[in-house]
Amino acid sequence: MENNLAMIIEDDVDLSNIFAEALRAAGFETEIIRDGAVAQQRLKETAPYIVILDMHLPHVDGSVLLGQIRTDPPLQKVKIVIVTADAIMGDMYREQAELTFIKPVTFTQLRDFTERMRLQK
Amino acid sequence: MTNLELFLQRLTVVSSPDPDDARRRRNLNILLLGLAPLLVLSIVISLFTARSAEGQGSLIILAGSVIMLLGVIVIYLINHYWSGKFSASLFLLLLLLVIAFSDDPEQLSGGRSLFIFIIPIVMASLILQPSAAFIFAALGSIMISAFSISIGKLPNSPAILGYFLVAFVSWLSSRSLEQALGDLRSTNANLDKLVQERTKALTESLTREMIEAGRSEAILNSIADGVVVFDTNWKSTLANPAIVNLLETPFSGIVEHSIDDLLNSDRISAKDRGTLLAMLEKPGQIGESFKMEWGKKTLSVNAAQVYDSAGAQIGTVAVFRDFTREAEVERMKSAFVAMVSHELRTPLNAILGYAEMLKEAVYGPINEKQGGATDRIMTNTQHLLDLVSELLDQAQIEAGKLKIQAAPFAPTELLDAVHGVMDKIAADKQLTFTSEIDPQLPERMNGDSYRLRQILINLANNAVKFTGRGGVHIRLFRRDAAHWGISVRDTGDGIPNDEIPHIFETFRQVDGTTTRQYGGIGLGLSIVKQLVSLMQGEIAVESELGSGSTFTILFPLNNANK
Repeated sequence: MENNLAMIIEDDVDLSNIFAEALRAAGFETEIIRDGAVAQQRLKETAPYIVILDMHLPHVDGSVLLGQIRTDPPLQKVKIVIVTADAIMGDMYREQAELTFIKPVTFTQLRDFTERMRLQK
Repeated sequence: MTNLELFLQRLTVVSSPDPDDARRRRNLNILLLGLAPLLVLSIVISLFTARSAEGQGSLIILAGSVIMLLGVIVIYLINHYWSGKFSASLFLLLLLLVIAFSDDPEQLSGGRSLFIFIIPIVMASLILQPSAAFIFAALGSIMISAFSISIGKLPNSPAILGYFLVAFVSWLSSRSLEQALGDLRSTNANLDKLVQERTKALTESLTREMIEAGRSEAILNSIADGVVVFDTNWKSTLANPAIVNLLETPFSGIVEHSIDDLLNSDRISAKDRGTLLAMLEKPGQIGESFKMEWGKKTLSVNAAQVYDSAGAQIGTVAVFRDFTREAEVERMKSAFVAMVSHELRTPLNAILGYAEMLKEAVYGPINEKQGGATDRIMTNTQHLLDLVSELLDQAQIEAGKLKIQAAPFAPTELLDAVHGVMDKIAADKQLTFTSEIDPQLPERMNGDSYRLRQILINLANNAVKFTGRGGVHIRLFRRDAAHWGISVRDTGDGIPNDEIPHIFETFRQVDGTTTRQYGGIGLGLSIVKQLVSLMQGEIAVESELGSGSTFTILFPLNNANK
């Protein structure tokens, strides 16, 4: 079965909804997680195709999740899109992600970029 | 000097403005003082001998002596209180008179008493004036001539010649004595003057030094900064009152204590203590100042070595400033900026996202009017987001918090990102948006790609904003071996020449009309310029009214901004 799951890890209710809609419009199945600790647990159970990752999260920080995805063998193929309001932090982790967006991120931007990534697989 | 000497001196000294006059009057006084006891002795002897057989002669001597003694006293008083010249003349005339009666005319004019007349001649040169010797030589000559004639003899010309010779020698010696004394006096006067001048200069410089020292002390005591001076053994030798409050340590616990005593407090952390000691040891190595926590206070410390005039180090001065309030304000400002950055952008981003979703018919089709309304929501929200971003950037630049982070990047990726944002904005206005990369440019360069993108998008946005027809063209190029550049050219209205110098100023747009027409608060170009300077670049603009503007930025190639 083809992996078509997009995991949106973003604590803001509105932004997570918008990101989810954008990913859905790009052709993904979506799952929204608004807590770092929950995401950490979920990533141990399943390997999504793509993760939309906010860096500021409650309980467990985005950078920890980033490290987890990059070191855990089952998660090796997961594509990461960082979405952060902090330009400096965005630059810091740019190399570890497929894409880095500095907020504000528009619906169409995210939809178009992720759709391109989905079609490239 | 003994009391007797003092008494005699007081008795003989006469004060006179003319030092020669004073000396002569003193000489006369000495003579009178010498004469007085002799006369007293003569009176006493006469009183004893008056009872004997030859009492007649003794009585005459007694009378003469008493008269003489009275004369001596009168002359002394005149000499002392009135005139030296008059008293001296009087004394000499009295002396001549006494001489005239002291022997018989025969002896006086040619015998044993002939040369007694030398006494007034020599004395005159000493107590009257040098040339007076000749007057008394003449008087003496007249007297012996008169005696000679009275006994029927010719005047004694060899004796007269002798008197004048003595007068001449007296005159010469007195005169040279007076000249020598005069020279000595003027030398002394010069010396006195010199000493006076030196004393005055010394007094002045001492006074000045005292005033300056007082002033320095007053300044030291009145400044709000705490000052401590340490000697080369790290013992504090000087401190001002402000340091007592800053360090919350009594004055007695600071001055005359070693630096280790001073810092042996639980108010300072071991790390800060180490840094502070290192800074005091070698001021300037850690930076201009160093901030440390002292109890509940934040103190900023500056240090400098103190040298004497010969250039040898004699100690170190440390200046402490209360930075508590500033540190608190700085913390609050950073916190505020971070809060605004997140709290303002997130909801705006949400509004933008929802409007876009409506527009993209994610929730079902919308009619034309609804589409227009969502467009207005999106444009205005985007505006608001840009404003917030600009204000935050400006705040960060002002706070010195905006750091340039250089890393390798590809120019093509930079342009792709700019196209990603700008293509749609330009297309919405039916403008062309094109770019090119000079093949001479390296494929990978060093720089802050995020800030470069911000600069390009800002300039491109601006160009699109002010262009009604035609388009915007971006070029990345290599200028020479050491420089590369960016140019953004538009076919817009252009900028009036007199406005060009001001377009990079904060909160500036060409005029109020443009602000209303095009929006924005005029921070964009100012931020671009500040970012360019932070990257050690330079920005320039060329413009022609009606045909467009070109912004050109030059950066050092492979610039080493860390």
